[in-house]
Amino acid sequence: MLHTKIIDLTKESIRPEDAEEFIASSKFGASIVFYGTVRENNENKKVTGITYDAHNEMVVKSFKEIYNEVDEKLKIKSKAVFIEHVKGYVGLGEVSIIIAVACPHRAEAYTLSRYIIEEIKKRSPIWKKEHYQNEESEWLKGNPIQAN
Amino acid sequence: MKVKLELYGASRDLSKKSFIEFNIEGKSSIKDLKKKIINYVDSNFKGNNNFKKIVEASAFCSEDNNIISDNYIINKDQKIGIIPPIGGG
Repeated sequence: MLHTKIIDLTKESIRPEDAEEFIASSKFGASIVFYGTVRENNENKKVTGITYDAHNEMVVKSFKEIYNEVDEKLKIKSKAVFIEHVKGYVGLGEVSIIIAVACPHRAEAYTLSRYIIEEIKKRSPIWKKEHYQNEESEWLKGNPIQAN
Repeated sequence: MKVKLELYGASRDLSKKSFIEFNIEGKSSIKDLKKKIINYVDSNFKGNNNFKKIVEASAFCSEDNNIISDNYIINKDQKIGIIPPIGGG
C-alpha cells in the first residue's frame, strides 16, 4: 500500500495527520514517521529557509520504483508507505518531507524507513536552494543522478 | 528541429523562464545538445564557468520521464529536461 505526492506549497500544505491516517492499521505492530525539516545552519552558514524544486513526474516515478523494489531487496512484503515531498519555499523548522511506514514488526519498519530516505537522496530529482541571513542564496551542489 | 529544454534546480539560473528553446540539426544527440547549451552559456553569460560545470554534470530526461544517454538521438521536436546533480529530501 503506497501513497506518494509532491506538495506544491503555493497551493496546499503538507499534513502529518494525512500520513498517520494512511498507515494506521491493526495489521501492523510498528509505525515510524520520519520528518525532514529545515535546520538553521549548514556548513557554518546561517540558513533562513530553503526553496525546493522537483521534477514532479520523475520524483513520483522514483518513489514508486523504490517502493516496488522493497519486496525483493528487503524482503518486506506487508507494509504501508506514505511519502510526500514539498516543492517551494520552506522556513526554518518546517517540514520538507514525510516518510511514514508501517510494518508488522519494528525491525523491518526501521529498515524500510531508512532505506526509503537514503534511496530518495540518491535517485529522486529534487533540488535545494538555501537562503542565508546575509540575504544571499545558492543551489546546493548535490550528486549526479543515478539512472536505474 | 526544436528542443524545449526544461530547466530544474541550479539550471534555472540559465533563464528567467522555466525553459530555453534550441534549434538543432536533424539526428543530433544529447551530446550535441550539451554543446549548444555550452555555446548558449558562452553567449549569454560570458562563458560563466559555474554554469558550464552544471551543464557538464547534468543528466537529461526524455518526455516520458526516463534518463537518456549522451548518445540518445533527437529525431523530432520535443521537450527535454536538464537534471542537475540532486540533493533533496
